[in-house]
Amino acid sequence: MVANRTILLVEDSDADSEATVRALGRCVGSPAVYRCADGDSALTFLRQLDRVDGLASRPAVILLDLNLPGTDGREVLEQIKADDALKHIPVVILTTSAASADVAFCYRHGASGYIVKPVDLAKFAARVQQFHAYWFEAVEPSTA
Amino acid sequence: MTDNSAYSIKSGEVTLTNCDREPVHIPGCVLSHGVLLVLRRSDLTVVQASANTSALFGVEPTVLLGRGLDALLAPDQVDVLAHFLRTERLENGPLFALTAIPTGASGPFDVTAHTQGELAVVEWEPSTRTGLPANPDYYSLVKRSVSRLQTATTLRGYCEAVTAEVRALTGLDRVMVYRFQSDNSGWVFAESKRDDLNTYLDQHYPAADIPLPARQLFLKLWHRLVPDVRAEPAELVPLTNPVTNAPLDMTYCSLRGASVMYTEYLQNMGVSAALVMPLVRDGHLWGLIATHHYSPKYIPHHVRAACEFLAQVVSLQLAAAEDREGQEYKLRIRSVHESLVLRAATTDTSLSDLVTGSPGLLDLLDAGGVALVQGGAVRTAGRTPSPEQIGALVGWLRDRTEGGADGVTHTNALPAVYKPAAVFKDTACGLLAVPISRSRRDLLLWFRPEHIATVVWAGYPTEKDVQIGPHGPRLTPRKSFDLWRESVEGMAPAWSEAEVEAARRFRVAVLDVVVGHAEQVAKLNKELEAHVEELDAFAYVASHDLKEPLRGIHNYAAFLIEDYQGKLGTDGEVKLRAMMRLSQRMESLIESLLHYSRTGRGEFVVRDKDLNAVLRGAREMLQARLQETAADLRVPRPLPTVRCEPVMVGEVFGNLISNALKYNDKPDKWVEVGYEGRTEPDGEGGTKSVTAFYVRDNGIGIPAKHHDAVFRIFKRLHARDKFGGGTGAGLTIVKKVVERHGGRIWVESTEGEGTTFYFTLGG
Repeated sequence: MVANRTILLVEDSDADSEATVRALGRCVGSPAVYRCADGDSALTFLRQLDRVDGLASRPAVILLDLNLPGTDGREVLEQIKADDALKHIPVVILTTSAASADVAFCYRHGASGYIVKPVDLAKFAARVQQFHAYWFEAVEPSTA
Repeated sequence: MTDNSAYSIKSGEVTLTNCDREPVHIPGCVLSHGVLLVLRRSDLTVVQASANTSALFGVEPTVLLGRGLDALLAPDQVDVLAHFLRTERLENGPLFALTAIPTGASGPFDVTAHTQGELAVVEWEPSTRTGLPANPDYYSLVKRSVSRLQTATTLRGYCEAVTAEVRALTGLDRVMVYRFQSDNSGWVFAESKRDDLNTYLDQHYPAADIPLPARQLFLKLWHRLVPDVRAEPAELVPLTNPVTNAPLDMTYCSLRGASVMYTEYLQNMGVSAALVMPLVRDGHLWGLIATHHYSPKYIPHHVRAACEFLAQVVSLQLAAAEDREGQEYKLRIRSVHESLVLRAATTDTSLSDLVTGSPGLLDLLDAGGVALVQGGAVRTAGRTPSPEQIGALVGWLRDRTEGGADGVTHTNALPAVYKPAAVFKDTACGLLAVPISRSRRDLLLWFRPEHIATVVWAGYPTEKDVQIGPHGPRLTPRKSFDLWRESVEGMAPAWSEAEVEAARRFRVAVLDVVVGHAEQVAKLNKELEAHVEELDAFAYVASHDLKEPLRGIHNYAAFLIEDYQGKLGTDGEVKLRAMMRLSQRMESLIESLLHYSRTGRGEFVVRDKDLNAVLRGAREMLQARLQETAADLRVPRPLPTVRCEPVMVGEVFGNLISNALKYNDKPDKWVEVGYEGRTEPDGEGGTKSVTAFYVRDNGIGIPAKHHDAVFRIFKRLHARDKFGGGTGAGLTIVKKVVERHGGRIWVESTEGEGTTFYFTLGG
């Protein structure tokens, strides 16, 4: 168990956002979830946090959708990994796309995981909970 | 027979074999209806006289020898003739001098004369002129005829008009325009005749029928009359001219004795009198105006002069008429050419559409048939050899190196250069071949039938029985026609310069069109690529943008159930769950569609792969189902190694085995995977052996009427929840994979007993 139990969810779909939050809410020690509905606000949020509160308030892990309005998820990933202050935060992709090109792109650009969203809510919840179990129970989330 | 010997028709021995050398210009005889006197110009005394002076003038020729003209004419007439001989230019042929009644004669004679060096040749022919003026009025005779000729539009029409005019002028039974071909053979090109006579129109005669000496003579004189072919000719006395010590050159003499062959030929046709006038174009003997009369017919000098004048007018206009006709043909070719190119240029007209249709390739040139050989396919119009014969001909053409740089070749005697053509010479004796691809694999071929085939029906001579002369049936039109027929055996009418040129021009136009079509195909391919890319984009949209809202619907339905538990009632919850199920089903349909589109496109790398390993992979994937159904998966003999895309072929086995397990209601289920050799058509008329793989089951079977439908995407034969569901894309994807390998898939099945899916993986 670690002190920082916050997740940044970058997700434009309210339905997916709610499904994710609900699934996480059922987890032991349900983490705090910040949500940004598009890429630009996510990047702004991350950099602002960094200035104001320093390292401590940063999310332990970022759940990033790929298809976002405005700045695309792929670009958000690239910018995070190009930013010395942010690149250590693990980014897990949570997307509808099962295209191998997207999977390859994301891992090449430093993503720590890739979750395809199923249409079945039960399966969706199971995957989110697996994600939680991995990042908050099995491994120690990065606090660096 | 030399020029210096004292030859005469009567004593000479002209035969069928030497008639080409017959000295027709020194026959030593005159036609018996007139008298010929040869005078020494210096003193105008008679040095030669024809033997018939006794019959016509009542005086023996020997009596006239050494005498002056006063022996026959009154003094004033002697003066007129002497003056005429002194002053006129007479060395190029005879001119009319006067009409007189010689001493001892029973009627008037027209006197014409010409000179040969020291000699003056004076010819006397019976005159029908009555009274004065003595000057012949050619003009009035010919003027109307000439004006009528102007109205003819075609060469043939023009010549027909000529025959009618000559017949009107002379009253002869038959008047023909006989036209020479380049090989000196000839044919009756136009005819005007007495109604009761057989026509000679379109009859063909070999070159030998009008021997070289005769043809040469006709370039020098403008008419030739034989008033009675049976009349005995009158020999000259003496036979050798005492002044020149040589036979008299009678080239220009109207009274020149006729060749034995000629008169016999005419007699064999039942002809008694003949008048012939040459038609000369640009110094060459183009043809003859040949006339026949079936009783002796004397045509007096002034009428002959009118005919002669007409022949000269016709000769002068021949070039223009012939050129005009050539020009009209060229214009026709050009207009057809342009229509064809216009048709070819429209986007959806392929070359093969031009073979038939209007105008078609057959309209471009005067030909019996036409064929387009393109990509091994043969399209024909008109009368042509069979496609197989054309195929062989094309092979022969390709191997030949002859022909111009553009490969255009033509012949009017194909069997002479290409032996197999002998069997189809009645359709393709003449060939004009135009390659329309660099490899000369694609060609346009125009065919012409053998000449004989086109004229035999029109021109075979049919004559009444006549007494054949001493030289036998050779001297008859029927025999002539047979000889001509032999001489043109295996020949078609030659292709003219204009036609070959037109074919060349058409070739260039076709190449433009072919290149144009190629460019169009390239453009279409580009467009197609763009479409495929769009389709890709669509597939992406389908996978994301369609699925996201779908998930939204699903999720909210789930939230409703979660958040409003107990408030919805059972019915509300059931409906919400149905909604969730439907959204999931829609997702799997979208997935299948994506899968299918990925199967048809994308990476496809074939390599040699042991199919046993592929089958093993598929088996592992289906392990759970195999255990669940307790089915027996049999492989009677190990599968071969084949060149394929292993992942996709694994999917084929997986799908087919999965179906075999699914659609089976037997207690003991089995599936057999194997292969067998098969013979299939190779698409080029032959066969090839292929390996057909099969997946066989003892399941429920498929009714025959559904054997095609099973491969249609999303087509299901059973209710969705019967036999374990599925989207109905499996066999469609299988078929796509097989087709990408260049193979095919088919099904054999007996309802209630089982199904076998066969597939091949290409050659």
